[in-house]
Amino acid sequence: MVEGKGAWRRRRVLAGMMGGAAALATPAIGRAAPSGKPVRVGGTLSLTGFLAQTAVIHKISAEIMVEEINGRNGFLGRPVEYVLLDDQSKPEVARSLYEKLITVDKVDLIQGPYATAPILAAMGVAQRYGKVMIQSSMGIPKLQTYDRAFPATPFGSEPNVTYPNVILDCLATFPTPPRTMAILTSKFPSAQFMALGMKEQAEKRGVKVPLYLEYESGNRDFGAMAARVKEGNADFLWVGSLGLESNLLLEALRKLDYRPKNHFHLYPAPGPLAVSPDGDKALCSTFLEPDEPFMSRPGMKRLAAEFKEKATKANLPYTTIDAQACGMAAEWQILEAAVNGAGSLDDAKIAAWLKKNKVTTVYGPTRFDGPYNHGDAAQLIKQVQNKEWKVVWPKEFAAPGVKLIAS
Amino acid sequence: MNAARDLPRLGAVLAIGAMALLPMARLPAFYDSFLYLVFFWISLSTSWALLSGFAGYFSLGHAAFFGLGVYVTADLTTKFGWPFLATLPVAAALPALLALGIGAIVFRLRRLRGELFALLTLSVTFVIATIILNTPIDGGGGIFMSAVPLPDLMPTPTGTIYLLGFVLCVITLLIAWKVVHSRLGMGLFAIHDDEDVAEAKGVPTLRYKLTAFALSAGIAGAVGGVHAMYVGFITTSGIFELTVPLYVVLMSVLGGARSWFGPAIGATVITTLLYAFISGGEAMVGRAIVAVILISAILWLPEGFVPAVKQWLARHRRAPARAPLAEVAPVVPAARPVSDTVLLQVRGATKRFGGLQALGGVDLDVRQGEILGLVGPNGSGKTTLINVVSGFYPLTSGSVSVAGVEIGHLPAHEIARRGVARTYQIPRPFVNMTVLENVVLAATFGMEDSSPFRWGGGASPLSHFVRKWPIRDGGVMDDSSDAAHDPSVGVKRRHLPRRRGRKASEIRDEALHWIGFTGLAGKEDVLPAGLNLHERKFLELARALAARPKLLLLDEVLSGLNPAEVDNAIRLVRAIRAQGATIVFVEHLMRAVVELSDRVAVLNEGRLFALGAPRDVMRDPRVVSIYLGKAYAA
Repeated sequence: MVEGKGAWRRRRVLAGMMGGAAALATPAIGRAAPSGKPVRVGGTLSLTGFLAQTAVIHKISAEIMVEEINGRNGFLGRPVEYVLLDDQSKPEVARSLYEKLITVDKVDLIQGPYATAPILAAMGVAQRYGKVMIQSSMGIPKLQTYDRAFPATPFGSEPNVTYPNVILDCLATFPTPPRTMAILTSKFPSAQFMALGMKEQAEKRGVKVPLYLEYESGNRDFGAMAARVKEGNADFLWVGSLGLESNLLLEALRKLDYRPKNHFHLYPAPGPLAVSPDGDKALCSTFLEPDEPFMSRPGMKRLAAEFKEKATKANLPYTTIDAQACGMAAEWQILEAAVNGAGSLDDAKIAAWLKKNKVTTVYGPTRFDGPYNHGDAAQLIKQVQNKEWKVVWPKEFAAPGVKLIAS
Repeated sequence: MNAARDLPRLGAVLAIGAMALLPMARLPAFYDSFLYLVFFWISLSTSWALLSGFAGYFSLGHAAFFGLGVYVTADLTTKFGWPFLATLPVAAALPALLALGIGAIVFRLRRLRGELFALLTLSVTFVIATIILNTPIDGGGGIFMSAVPLPDLMPTPTGTIYLLGFVLCVITLLIAWKVVHSRLGMGLFAIHDDEDVAEAKGVPTLRYKLTAFALSAGIAGAVGGVHAMYVGFITTSGIFELTVPLYVVLMSVLGGARSWFGPAIGATVITTLLYAFISGGEAMVGRAIVAVILISAILWLPEGFVPAVKQWLARHRRAPARAPLAEVAPVVPAARPVSDTVLLQVRGATKRFGGLQALGGVDLDVRQGEILGLVGPNGSGKTTLINVVSGFYPLTSGSVSVAGVEIGHLPAHEIARRGVARTYQIPRPFVNMTVLENVVLAATFGMEDSSPFRWGGGASPLSHFVRKWPIRDGGVMDDSSDAAHDPSVGVKRRHLPRRRGRKASEIRDEALHWIGFTGLAGKEDVLPAGLNLHERKFLELARALAARPKLLLLDEVLSGLNPAEVDNAIRLVRAIRAQGATIVFVEHLMRAVVELSDRVAVLNEGRLFALGAPRDVMRDPRVVSIYLGKAYAA
């Protein structure tokens, strides 16, 4: 913990937080425009290929953030230029493009790509060249073994332990807490990682897991699994899903005239699940939603508004800002705070600064001094209520007037 | 030392050495990486072409073998602590063994050609991916290889990966080159065009396909082993994705899948194009532009880039003065009488297709040096008998022996090598091969014994054509001379693999001899599509003769020809027969049957109906009745 490491450390943390908060809160008007040679920040996103639908959210968010940063003071008074390349959703391409950014384009700094495989491919390059790399979408913290790689999303160092307990804490408040749990999960690495953790933690806390099923990522036929779920009729259904898999599973269950008593979904497509009749009361993981108290965080209102505008222009189906978009925003907030805080573009100094300071991002105060450079876990639970996602747990983060509803 | 020949080789070796050492120049790592990816795709697409491009067995399962190689290296290094380089031979061997296992079953089934083979190989990918995903090989969590040490073969890790990719690429291209210039390559190209005919011409199709499949899969596996280290984090969804087979197909087709170098061109062009539009602002537009370029290229260059360039060069190359063409052989009187020795003996030959009996126990002897006319109404079993003797159909029961050796249950290529050649009623040339290549193939894979025509004994009456054929001023082409690259004749030395006991130049001379003999001189470079029916029939003959058979089976070689062409064909058959050749010919044209045959066998309803001297048999009222009805017979 930062508090336990001396007064000098506390002062630096406070300075970092205040600096970051002030930077985000202060409008551009009244500031000197950045000038001089641009600071070039390179990165790739999966703008084409199978990850493109999500990566475009990151792109919009990054563009908003670069505009904002340049509207403030840039990096060290110099304008920021984002050199964005398309890694085509392929880790091997991501690796080669990071080599291009670093060794040919000679960018000053880099930002991480989207999704675990490209991140790990890029991380190896960053490591060879000593570059700081901040990423926001790697769900298995223990794989982040590079000393100068930093997470922008507050998974915590052991989300497979901490987050299941958040869920179990939440379930314990139900009028009749579940005693049995069915777990279905995609074999997508980060989903499977969390599912195994959920199973272990549930059993530790006395919740039986009579059904644990894994399916291949991208599976579209949930009929047989739905039959097993119905047959098991557990008190709680936990689904390690991605994209539309949750919709497909719930639809398959409905065809069997079965509605799970309470159900949780890990990484579903937010829009389709919220508007689906099957999704009503569904629980889901999140880090924030466009409600209070999150909207009061520095820069969040402007970010949400701009995101809606740009996402609408880009014809995105779901234009409300969510945790994906905020992840990229947090990356830039961290980089901005670190560069300006370290007063240098030197990667070693930036990394050292990050390890000693907290940065306030849209996710709240974030620190990087734990295992794998992770800080505190801040995963929350949201629920579909009236076709909208609302944070319901922990209670202090619940939207005003919103309560957790048990089926 | 031949400087003209050795200098290019020396240059190539130096260039390969320089390329291998490129990472020593300490270029930015991106260039090492980019070139590695070019090599990676060259190796994958070229290895795909070994089976799918050369033999025409279109596979969509290349990701299975590539992915298996990836996981062999990933698992052996991370779970068993093997050194990375030690895993590569295993990464190559396992996919090769898998391919052999699949091929040993699939290649025996004729119905699994074409799109069914593509679907089957695609399903293999899913099966392998499912097994890996649901077992401890992966288990779903992926394999992270950051802790696996990479040997310091070059100053940088990227340089080491580059070197390994380059070495594999060079090995792959060398294998492809070697295959194209070998009997294997020639056999694969024949399989591509018509597998049944290739088998009948002596190509051991099953063995060749298995060899190509194993080579293809082995290379893909080794490439996968290196790529595991390059990617670093292995997941089944990333490794077994459909883009791998789709890209290799696209690259091979674009460059020319029947060329050893074509896929390399396609891979280089497509990889470069994919990197030409990587800017975030133009990603989608860039993809669209690449797609339009590729679609246009495939529309305008359907055979691929390399063949198109070759054709263009051939059109614009100055045509060299062609030597005088050979003439059709003059009719030579029978050199020797029909022997009493039985060459072909058929006993109780029965062939059933389900409930239909095509042959119902045929007994037939054909003597050495004899011409036996095989006649009978439609559906009487004539062509079936030819197909049974040549091995195209296996016997249901009975026996067939040639020169005392039982061949009835041998595969067709073994029968061909024992001296049985055939023609087809409807010509079935290898459509992507020139006339000369067609005949060279038959000469290469024909009868095992390398001695000249056995039937003639001593100097063939036709041997003057060999002497007369003016391949080069000053005599027969020398295998090692520049003449082997004479553009005046479409098949260069590279297409003339050495046959056991014979030089490539000898095979070529022999093929040219038979082309001249059948009156196709001047058509050596022409593809079969450029021949008329008459010429295609004679190409069938030339191929059969080039195999130097003991027994020649001619299936309605005269059908569809006009009277002048028939006369020409009859003269040809006589010329062949003049050497004492043993010929069984199926024919409906009775004039030809009577003029050419020593004896005539009549088949009816799958049984031997009559046998004897031509005029006697044709006057037999029973024979007339089965042809024209009883009223005419009376």
